[in-house]
Parts: sequence; C-alpha cells; structure tokens
Amino acid sequence: MKNLALLLIVAGCLFSSSCNKDSQSQPFKQLTGHVWASDSLLANGVDASGPDGMLKNFKGDAKFNQDGTGYFGVYIGTWRFAYNETQIIISTDSLPLPLTTKIAELTSISLKVTTSYPNLLNPAAPTFIRMTFKPK
Amino acid sequence: MRYIFIIITTLLSQALNVVVAQGIVKGKIYDKNTLEPLRGVYLIYENKQGTITDENGCFSVKSDTGKLNISFRLLGYKPATRFIVLRSNDTIELNIGLETDILDIGQIVISANKTEQKVAELTVSMDVIKTADFLKTHITDAQELINKTPGIEVLDGQASIRGGSGFSYGVGSRVLALIDGLPVFSPDAGNIKWQFLPLENIAQVEIIKGASSVLYGSSALNGIINFRSADPTNIPVTQFFAETGIYDKPKNKNWVWWNTPRFFSNVSFSHLQKIGKTDLGLSINLLNNNGYRKFNDEKLGRISLRLKHHNQKVKGLVYGFNINSGYTAKRDFILWENAENGALKQDTSTVSLVHGSFVAFDPFISYNNTGRFKHDLRMRLQLSDTRFPVRKENNSDAYSCYSEYQLYYAIASFMNITTGISENLSKILSNFYGNHNGLNLSVFTQLEVQPVPRLKMVAGLRVEQNSLDNKSDKIVPIFRTGINWQAAEYTFLRASFGEGYRYPSIAEKYASTTLGSIKIFPNPFVQPESGWSSEVGIKQGILSGKTNGQADLSLFFLQNKNLIEYPFGSYPDPITGISGLGFRADNIEQSRVYGYELEFILNRTQGEFNTTLTGGYTYIYPVEFNQITNKNTDIYLKYRRKHSVKISLKTSYKKFDLGVSLYAKSKILNIDNVFLDETTRESILPGFYEYWLQDNKGYFLLDGNIGFNITKILNLSVAVKNITNTEYMGRPGDIQPQRNYSIRLSGKF
Repeated sequence: MKNLALLLIVAGCLFSSSCNKDSQSQPFKQLTGHVWASDSLLANGVDASGPDGMLKNFKGDAKFNQDGTGYFGVYIGTWRFAYNETQIIISTDSLPLPLTTKIAELTSISLKVTTSYPNLLNPAAPTFIRMTFKPK
Repeated sequence: MRYIFIIITTLLSQALNVVVAQGIVKGKIYDKNTLEPLRGVYLIYENKQGTITDENGCFSVKSDTGKLNISFRLLGYKPATRFIVLRSNDTIELNIGLETDILDIGQIVISANKTEQKVAELTVSMDVIKTADFLKTHITDAQELINKTPGIEVLDGQASIRGGSGFSYGVGSRVLALIDGLPVFSPDAGNIKWQFLPLENIAQVEIIKGASSVLYGSSALNGIINFRSADPTNIPVTQFFAETGIYDKPKNKNWVWWNTPRFFSNVSFSHLQKIGKTDLGLSINLLNNNGYRKFNDEKLGRISLRLKHHNQKVKGLVYGFNINSGYTAKRDFILWENAENGALKQDTSTVSLVHGSFVAFDPFISYNNTGRFKHDLRMRLQLSDTRFPVRKENNSDAYSCYSEYQLYYAIASFMNITTGISENLSKILSNFYGNHNGLNLSVFTQLEVQPVPRLKMVAGLRVEQNSLDNKSDKIVPIFRTGINWQAAEYTFLRASFGEGYRYPSIAEKYASTTLGSIKIFPNPFVQPESGWSSEVGIKQGILSGKTNGQADLSLFFLQNKNLIEYPFGSYPDPITGISGLGFRADNIEQSRVYGYELEFILNRTQGEFNTTLTGGYTYIYPVEFNQITNKNTDIYLKYRRKHSVKISLKTSYKKFDLGVSLYAKSKILNIDNVFLDETTRESILPGFYEYWLQDNKGYFLLDGNIGFNITKILNLSVAVKNITNTEYMGRPGDIQPQRNYSIRLSGKF
C-alpha cells in the first residue's frame, strides 16, 4: 500500500505539472481590452465608409471579445488571431468568406489593419483595404 | 583389411542405430467438454518438428528417442504440453482433451505498453485484427482494412479513431501507423503510406483507441495502428494468392463513363521459415487497379524481407533487420467533374500522375538474458520520393532516420519499468515544400505496478522536443496513467487517461501550390495540436457450453485543442502580400468527443461447423468547445458520424467457408463551409451542394465471401463487396466503390 500511495503522489505531481493554463498574450489583451471605433476606412486609398462605400458596414464600433465572438460595425460573428498573431481573421454569416486582415499596428491606443480583396474578374487588380480604429 | 572391415561394420551399426533409434507418438485430441475430436490442432515438438491433427483429431509422429516436450495448440482452447521419454521402437499413445478457452482474451499484444501483455489486462482499449480476418474477405489494402474496423473512419487516407480527427485534405495524421513498433509515415506530408504496409506478412494488427503519445510521441494524438510482422514457427509456411476482380455499374447509371470493364488484379506471395537459428520472412505483392473512376488508377509493387538471428553463443541475444520497399504509379482522385454525370470522373484540372517509391531499412538488436532486463535498440532508415512527371515543381524527396533505445527492467516481482530514448532526424528536399531539416528528441519512462495479484497500474511520462530548421519548439511533457482490475475470472475493469500532441507536418507549414483554380497557402506559424483522452471499460469473457467469446464496453471522453484545419478564405500571399482565394492550414478546431463503444466476439463449434460472430457499435457526440469559456458551443465537429456499426459472421463447414459483413454508418454531421457556401460551392465541387442535401443520409454496406478448399493446399474463393450496390461518400466528392466482384486462388503449405 505504501508503494501505491507513493505512486499516486508521483502521478498526481506529474499530472498537475503538465496542466498549465494558456496565458494571454499582449496583442490579445490589447485587442480585447477596448471597444474600437472606426477612424478611417480606405479602399484603394479612397474613403469607402460612405453610404455606397465598399466598407460602409465596418463603420461604427468593433468589439473583439475574449471568447472569440464580437461585432465589427454591423457584422456580428467571430474573430481569431492567425499567422503568429500578425493577422486577424473575421468570420460572419454576412460575409461570403472569412476576412483575413494583416495587423499593421496594434497598441493600446491604435488598431490599423490592411488587406487586399480579390477581384474575381481581374485577379491582377485586387482592392487594397486599410482600416484604422481608435479606442472608444 | 581386418581393421577396415571392423571400422566399416562399426560405422554401419552406428548408422543403423541412428535409423532405428526412433519411436512413435500417436494419439487423438478432443474437446474435453464435448469429447468431439479436434481437427487442425498444432503439435510442436523437439527439433523444430511439427504437424497438425487430421479430421478425426488423430496424429502420429516419429521422433528421435529421448526426452520430448510436445505442445498442443488450437485457437479457442487452452494450450497443453506433455513431457514424455521416448525409447527406441516405442509407440506412445497420447489422448488429450483440450479445455475451451475464452476466445482471444488471453492473446498477447505488445503495443499498449511496448512489452508483451495479455489484451485483457490492458488499461486502454485495443482492437486486434488477425490475418485470417482480412485474407478471406479479399482485403489487400491496409486503408480498407482499418476503415472496416468498428469506431474508425478513414477519409482519403486520414484515420480518425472514435471521432478524434476530421479530415484535413490528406495532410498530416493524428493516428500513427507503425510496423513492428517503428513509425511509418512520410516526413514531408506527415501522412500514412498505407499502400506500402505489407499486409501479406502480418501476424496481427493492434489498434490503440486513444491518445498514445507518451509511448509513441507526436502523431499518436488519437491512437496508433501497429502492424506486427509474422514470426516463423517450427513449421515453414508458404502462402500465395492470385486474384482478379471487376467493378459493377454504379446505382446511378448516369455516372457510367467507361466502355470496357474496369478490372483490378492482385498477386501475393509470402514465406516464413526458421533456418537454423535464423528466422526468415519474405513477402511480395503486386497490384494493378484500373479504378472505377476516370483518371484514378494505380499500379503498385511492394516487397518485404525480415531476417532475425538468435545468437547461439550469447543466450537471449537477437538481432536482424527488416526491409520494406515499394513502388507505385497512380493518379489520386481529388475533385469530381460534377454530380450529375461526372461524379466518377476526376476534374481534369486536378489530374496528376504521381510516381512514388519507398524504402525502409530497420536494423535491430535485442538482449534479454535473465528476464529481468531487456535491452532493445532499433532503427529505421527511410527514403521516400514523390515524382510528378508533369508538375515537376511538386516533386519531393524525404529522408529520415529514426532510432530508439528501450530498457525493460523488472524491479521486483510486482513492479517493472520501461524507459527509453528516441530521435528522429529528417531531411526534405522539395520545391513544393522547400528544403527542410527536422530533429525530434524524446525521453520516455513508464512504471507498471501490480500491488495485488489482480490489480495492475501503469503511469508514464514523456518529454519531447521538436526542432525544424534549427529552430526548437518548447519542450513538451506529457503523461498517461491507467488501471486494470480483474474483478472475476473472466471480468476485467479498466480506466485510463492519456495525453497526446502532434507537431504540424512540413506540408501543413510550407506547402504552396495551385490545384486547378484553388491555391494552397503556406502557414509557417501553425502551432502543435494537443489533447487528452480518457475512458473506463469492462471486458467480459463469455463461456457457455459450446459458445465462447468476449464482450467489451467502454465509455470515453476526449478533448483536443488547436486541431489543424484547412479553412477556405482570402489569404495574403506571403511574398507579394496580395490576397488570393484558397486554403491555408490553421489551428481552428477545439474539440470534445463523448461516446461509448461496444464490441464483441462469439465463437461456437457444433459438429463440423465453426462459426464466429463479431461486431461493434460506436456512438459519439462530437462537439466544438470554446477555449476561453470552456463551454461546448453545440456546433458539431466536421467530418464525424454519430453512429457506426459493424457485424460480421464467419462460418466454416468441412471444405467450405462463408463470411458476411454488415457495415452501417450514420450521416456526416458537418463539413467545411467552402462546400456549402453559395459563393464558393459550385466553383469547387459542381453539383455537390444538392447532392449533399439529398444524399447525406448514412448508409448500409454488405460484403460477402465464400471459399472452397480444393485440396489441403489450394483454396478458391469469391468475394462480393458492396452487395447492395450502395452509393455512399467519404469526404465531399469522394464517391466510394460500387459493387465489385473478385475471385481468388490461394494456397498455403
């Protein structure tokens, strides 16, 4: 019985040491720490936040919740980091494809993302998108 | 002259003495309960001699005089041994009644703890597939064999045990395949080379259902499949078969695209023999499959050689090598043309001929003198190449060197320890993946304790580190533990917990190519997967009159984090930064699977009928969970089915044997959105969406086979697979074979 008790103690120690909780990274804390308000929404360098603009639906607030859900302008869906936390991928039922954006800047006072949207009719001429946000 | 005469006379008399210094042992073997004679009982006695009993249970052997140990063995009966002293010209009669044994409950397996152990005493669930289970059913492909095992689904080469894995487009594997305990996967794509697994010379296949990374490292996240080579017995055995078959027309006649019949053929040869102190195993298999789908065919050859030498001077010292090698020329099926009339035609934009070769050289040395210590040093030098005659930019060469040292030490009668170190060095030369070097180092140890006779406990720890291109991942410690309690003579209770993990393959990180209109983007930042599985189970032996067998019930739960998937999306090109549409590996799935599994085997011998009924039912509830909130999301995991059933009946009567197998699987619960979204579905798989809505309903499959022993050596058999001509699908767009017939002439002597 002594051997059994010893074994259980050793096993318990090993088990507890192998269970380490994932710690939150700095970009995760910065992104989820605020409600972000859209500042500029540019498509090919031109403002696209107007009523007929390509990015009108991103106008307004964006919130990246810690559980991976969120809202991004009028879109409600999920978000996740990718590519070693250098990209944010936003998925919503309202977008035909997940939107992969590259993080150009992420601090506690600024969020800037860029992407290019494929042009199915002319793959050589995609639309270049740049969106900036500030904490609300 | 006189002396010469004396010498000759003496030599002759000596020679005559040798000739006459023999005796005869004869007798009858029968069932101790029913007193019925037993046919086919193996007798093994001194000087590597052996024979089997005839249809009346009788045997007769001549042997040199002296002390003789004779053992009697028959499946389903407890082995018996008799010790006799045979004198010159003696005739000894041995009539022995064999006691019925619980079928397979005491069979020895090795994969669960890397040491020999009875299957009933394991702490984890294990399925054991015997050679006879697949030879008679005309299964020659390891992938088909595993796919027809309860609780396992193989989608396009990717195995999933109890729903632990989905489908990620043929890249990476969460189930590790091994030949004699050594991993056999490609270092570049990280997938299993099913076609090169030498089924023709396998003693049994052992499948562990659950995370097994503590003993087997990365890729054993969801379990292992260990193909164990056959060892020769004292009786040399040669087996062969020649088989040919034809595909019937599919149920949907619009899909018929051929004008000439679609044939497949297969020949196989294997030989096992002891030569002095050396064991020899040799096998060859050749396959030509024209395929039931257009632009999807294969020509394959594989050969294996095994030499194992028992050193005469140093007792317990064994060394040798295995060689497994193969060559294939094939066209894999990727995307169909359309659902209406092109489901069995590959879209020409994805057609690609590929030549692949594979060589594995496995030297080994083992020393076990006293039984307290056992040292094993094993190695695998593996070379594989993939050649695309048209798309040469996708060519790849992969080299790997795996080596492992393992020490078994019986510390005391109630405690033993197994510990070892392993390394895997790999080198990839490829335009497709880029050139890469990998190194994996690990240390593992496992303690097994039996504090009281009916209780066994095991605990193991592994520490592993993976390096790719001289950049090291963090060191990963993982743990397993388990307990087995023999509650009654034929009742075994078990519980286990095991952690697992998997490093991404080179392909998942670096593959970059275009398939038709679809791009594959690299993701060098994709992270390792991790998880754990747990289960409680009971194995109950059944012995009732002439029926014996066993039943096994297990309740299981497994959880995995960061499983890699290939979501379709718009991704920036890593060089130009301009986005394009395609697939990219990413850590997406957080999965939980709850379930239970019931398996059974029943055998009954009545007169000359010998009937075996086997089966299994697996239920899973596979669901995603949120890693932050730790709550289930109620979204089903992709490419899983809730229910799967297999029932198989085999019977033999005199010269005939008959087998019928029924497989049933429920519908696929969820698939990638790319196949369902209206903006993408038609451009990827034309017509699939409507097909999915109408035909994703689950399916029943029925296979049958009948065989006739022409002589004691030759057997003629016919198999019909998918008798009901069921139309069913694996992963999206992958219609499985319609009804097909095959005829086989096989021999064993």
